[in-house]
Amino acid sequence: MTETSLYILQQLINGLTIGSTYALIAIGYTMVYGIIGMINFAHGEVYMIGTYTAFITIVGLLTMGVGSLPIILLLALITAIIISSTYGYAIERVAYRPLRGGPRLIPLITAIGMSIFLQNYIRLAQGSRDLAMPALISGGIEFGDPAVFEVSISWMQLIIWGITLISMTSLAMFISRSRLGRACRACAQDRGMTNLLGIDTNRIIALTFVIGAALAAVAGVLLGLYYGIINPYIGFMAGLKAFTAAVLGGIGSIPGAMLGGLILGVTEALTAAFFPSEYKDVVAFSLLVLILLFRPTGLLGKPEVEKV
Amino acid sequence: MTLKKATFGKTLLAAGTLMAAMTAAHAETLKIGIAGPVTGPVAQYGDMQKIGAMMAIDKINEAGGVNGMTLEGVIYDDACDPKQAVAVANRIVNDDIRHVIGHLCSSSTEPASDIYEEEGVMMITAASTSPTITEKGYELIFRTIGLDSLQGSLAAEYIKDNIKPQRLAVIHDKQQYGEGLATTVRDMLADAGIEAQMFEGVTPGDKDFSALIAKLKRNNIDFVYYGGYHPELGLILRQSREKGFDAAFMGPEGVVNSDLAAIAGDAMEGVLATAPKSFDQSPENAALVEAFKARNEDPSGPFVFPAYSAVQVMTEAMDATGKTDPYALAEHLRANRFDTTIGEIGFDAKGDLTEPTFEIYTLHADGSKTPVTK
Repeated sequence: MTETSLYILQQLINGLTIGSTYALIAIGYTMVYGIIGMINFAHGEVYMIGTYTAFITIVGLLTMGVGSLPIILLLALITAIIISSTYGYAIERVAYRPLRGGPRLIPLITAIGMSIFLQNYIRLAQGSRDLAMPALISGGIEFGDPAVFEVSISWMQLIIWGITLISMTSLAMFISRSRLGRACRACAQDRGMTNLLGIDTNRIIALTFVIGAALAAVAGVLLGLYYGIINPYIGFMAGLKAFTAAVLGGIGSIPGAMLGGLILGVTEALTAAFFPSEYKDVVAFSLLVLILLFRPTGLLGKPEVEKV
Repeated sequence: MTLKKATFGKTLLAAGTLMAAMTAAHAETLKIGIAGPVTGPVAQYGDMQKIGAMMAIDKINEAGGVNGMTLEGVIYDDACDPKQAVAVANRIVNDDIRHVIGHLCSSSTEPASDIYEEEGVMMITAASTSPTITEKGYELIFRTIGLDSLQGSLAAEYIKDNIKPQRLAVIHDKQQYGEGLATTVRDMLADAGIEAQMFEGVTPGDKDFSALIAKLKRNNIDFVYYGGYHPELGLILRQSREKGFDAAFMGPEGVVNSDLAAIAGDAMEGVLATAPKSFDQSPENAALVEAFKARNEDPSGPFVFPAYSAVQVMTEAMDATGKTDPYALAEHLRANRFDTTIGEIGFDAKGDLTEPTFEIYTLHADGSKTPVTK
């Protein structure tokens, strides 16, 4: 392979890694939108809480003398999922359910309020300084000709791909095969009718919040370990990027969120590869504007039919 | 009528005696204003300046004073507030004080300088690093601390003479401080024939630098100068280590922070940085450090020794010229070199130090730093 193609391959690897985590967070936006038609702007903060939970778990386990990497990773994932899901559920109960049926703008405002509250709550509880995640997993594999360009894939990147793939597949199975998944889809199609058929739609809505939060927590653990530092403000940018990914893929569509995340990640990496890296956000958001201009419903979104 | 005349004469006599007494008192003590924050959020920095200047005044008095006069430090509080700084400057002028150490915050020093310059008061700041303060071409305003921007030229000199990189990259965080330094380094090295292969910005607060690192690797960069602060450099170092990119890195004072070690871990070992000299570590100041400790004062603050040196140069100039007139002192300060606790220094036409008070350090993974011997 030539030097340029190896270089592009390296950037694709970087872009797919970051894109998979965008996709994980984007699912939360898209599922909630699909069912109740609102944007949960506090979702980025749920992701941030996931990274903090993982941080506390990992540091706790390390000081207790637990050295086994799979155990640490697994426990970090489990605690992060449990804590973040609890937050996801609580946010829905406290900030959105009492307002259901009200004008659409109201839950949007409580969502922003919730986001500000959570960010400042973590800032007060954990401090606003950057915390450094212990470097658990280092090294990786390298290939390509060292004289030309050496492509490296770190173990962490492989783990991110693996866990994202597992999470996405189980989500797809859950939605398409299980009874609850069917209820979710029914709810998305016609909430009133689903309710008439004896399904507790409030429970289903709470469930989508929990699923979204759990996936955001997975992304939180992975990104926390991948980047190495966390602070109470990381939720904002991550949330914005994931929201962009969800809109890009077509908000409301789960495969759309996955595709949108990957496209966004790869676009950012390739922009940084050939232009100064300060332009990567500019190009990513310009792409969003372009797609919305020509396909207002996103790549895989269905045109919305006005419900009577 | 005659009675009135006599009274008038007595009053005149009394006034004359009083004047004579005041003049005598003037000849014995010389008041030096020390202006800076005593209250407010940055009061601890004001304290560094105060203990430095006060120690110098005491030491000089112990040695017999200046030209037969005893020095007296008078503390003024500007609370690091530009409005209060103006009020303080006016009060100093009204109190007939003509020599000031201060102010501390650049934003306070700037408006106060105008008043001092106009009213013929000499001011030496030991802490304000903003380049704009001395750009107006004042006659009576000096400083005993290096400008931030001098770090760039110091770094460039060092890279040119000691590193001689084959393929250089200059990265910055697009902020005034970082980009300013990065531009200085790039331009100075370009003048010396070392062209930067890459010069680009990153977004402050960004977490993912994998694309940038792949680009550095592709360009076979062997030396990176980073203008910015520690969170981004920490991540760049950590992610470079993971991706097998092992060029040498250098940064400004903004990266020297114990958090850098926490973020970058082992990848931090050997990173170069320019940082203010630790004057309390230099062997020449050992006795002085003991004197501070005997008073239960901390000599390690960055402004303690610059403040000490400010008093030193001012009184040395008084000694040499035999005058206290600020204009005569200013002329002497510009024309001569002084041996102070911050090393041998001189002043340029603008009143800035002619040599940087920064030094090059090697940073270590445990968060410590050691000076680089050139």
